[in-house]
Amino acid sequence: MRALVLILAAICVLPLIVRPAIAAEIWIFAIFGLGLNLLLGYTGLLSFGQSTFFGSAAYVAGYLLKHHAIGLPLALGVGIGIGALSALLVGYLCVQRSGLYFIMLTFALNQLFYFVAYQWTSVTGGEDGMPGIPRPAILGIGLTEPLHYYLLVSALFLLALGLMKRIVESPLGKILQAIRENEVRADAVGYNVPRFKLAAFVIGGAFSGAAGVLYAMLFGIVPLEAIGFVFSGNVVFATLIGGSGSLYGPIIGSFVFIWLSESMSVVWARWPLLLGVAFVIVVLFFRGGVVEAWSRLWRFSKRTA
Amino acid sequence: MALLETHGLTKSFGALTAVNAVTLRVEAGAVHSVIGPNGAGKTTLFNLLTGAFPPSSGQLFFDGKDITGTPSHRVAHLGLARSFQRTNVFPALSLLDNVWIAAFARNVSRRGLTWRRAQHYPETTERARSALADVGLAEKANHLAREISHGEQRQLELAIALAAAPRVLLLDEPAAGLSPDETRKMVALVRALRGRYTVVLIEHKMDIIMNVSDRISVMHFGSLIAEGTPAEIQRNPDVRRAYLGGAAA
Ligand SMILES: Nc1ncnc2c1ncn2[C@@H]1O[C@H](COP(=O)(O)OP(=O)(O)OP(=O)(O)O)[C@@H](O)[C@H]1O
Ligand SMILES: [Mg+2]
Repeated sequence: MRALVLILAAICVLPLIVRPAIAAEIWIFAIFGLGLNLLLGYTGLLSFGQSTFFGSAAYVAGYLLKHHAIGLPLALGVGIGIGALSALLVGYLCVQRSGLYFIMLTFALNQLFYFVAYQWTSVTGGEDGMPGIPRPAILGIGLTEPLHYYLLVSALFLLALGLMKRIVESPLGKILQAIRENEVRADAVGYNVPRFKLAAFVIGGAFSGAAGVLYAMLFGIVPLEAIGFVFSGNVVFATLIGGSGSLYGPIIGSFVFIWLSESMSVVWARWPLLLGVAFVIVVLFFRGGVVEAWSRLWRFSKRTA
Repeated sequence: MALLETHGLTKSFGALTAVNAVTLRVEAGAVHSVIGPNGAGKTTLFNLLTGAFPPSSGQLFFDGKDITGTPSHRVAHLGLARSFQRTNVFPALSLLDNVWIAAFARNVSRRGLTWRRAQHYPETTERARSALADVGLAEKANHLAREISHGEQRQLELAIALAAAPRVLLLDEPAAGLSPDETRKMVALVRALRGRYTVVLIEHKMDIIMNVSDRISVMHFGSLIAEGTPAEIQRNPDVRRAYLGGAAA
């Protein structure tokens, strides 16, 4: 409840502090992070290929928006579907492996998708990206106004968060955590472990897909980076900084990450250094990211008070 | 009709035959123990019985049905539950969640899997709580599994198996690594299971075996060398030579 109030407050305040486009990007990236964290935090699977789903959805929905003038709900539906479908494909190939092989395979398949996008210039625009993606109006309300679009993104983010909360509190959420804790026992008590990992992939992919479409409409373009490995790395990075052990970790991570990258990149070209430092601090001292640092601080202040 | 039956069950790891042509019949309602020196193949036999890996040859029947080669997660659905020799729990989950996961796995219907809140499965939660209560861990339901003592983790290990409401319970050295005091508790627990479950028990400690078993099978170098009641096994000269005389002395 307290978390919800904080998030609502942040949604209201954010566009007053930063440009609406950046504010929207934060929530979009948070949706992307929610999807990743079902894999990373809940199932214990480090996927280094999340932009496969994000980018594929952005390209397909972007293409349909641009050339076939589809409506916004359909664009979102297509994005979610493509995100889930590509995750089904990639997940199917990955869930049988474990450890480093798993991580490398998610990465390698991401590269494969990247090169398809890179080469297929007639559709994707290759390095130049796919520009000219419109933001269709919804229910007669135009979304070209940045603040309108921001509100839509915020509403969809809240929906995504509510959905993810239900999922992680459902039996499925418990089973995924059990798999993270002990695959052998999860199998022994009767769960088809690869099948459940695949489910986590597909759900995570659907969230990534939604984020991808929103991203394409936000900037009016699908840049090639949207399907690149840096993007995949960024969402892992942001989630770890925020804290993969909590539902809200990726949201905080998205905040820190987007805000740092947008505000620092203009004043200091070497800003990724800051991220590096933040990451090292997390790895060395706060494995649970900002969420853990915060709760430790909270306990500490209560003890000393 | 035996509830669990094997015919010539064999498992080889390269040149090593860990389980060699084992033919075993476990009668419904019995406590059937499997004993044998270290490395005799007892745990491997359990791995075969639960489908953790397929046998190199031989067959496995449960309730008259051939289940040879059925993967372990499906075997679990048939009602075979096991506990592990080395504690094998879900460390960062609460004790209640540890058993809840096992209880939920046995539900025929998985309705609401991705949607319904876990608390809204009263039957499953009830089964989970009573499994914890059976092993005396009810008060610690909200502790994390990694926070409790080794002895308690052994009890939890058993509770996870019980929560599945199994038809056959396979216990792999439930008293492994326990203090004399904890062992006494565990023996009492296993005794209390008599009559409620069909139990296959692996154990090293002779006093436990002689105390709780209806039948005993003796394994040596992967093969069964004797089978009988506790009294018969105690008298058997082969067993004395292979086991009682040597390793356990
Ligand atoms: N996965 C495996 N791969 C290779 N060899 C194995 C494997 N599992 C067991 N073995 C070997 O099979 C033999 C039987 O092992 P098993 O664990 O079944 O014995 P056990 O009777 O349970 O012994 P203990 O009383 O020490 O638990 C041992 O020699 C062991 O090294
Ligand atoms: Mg063993």
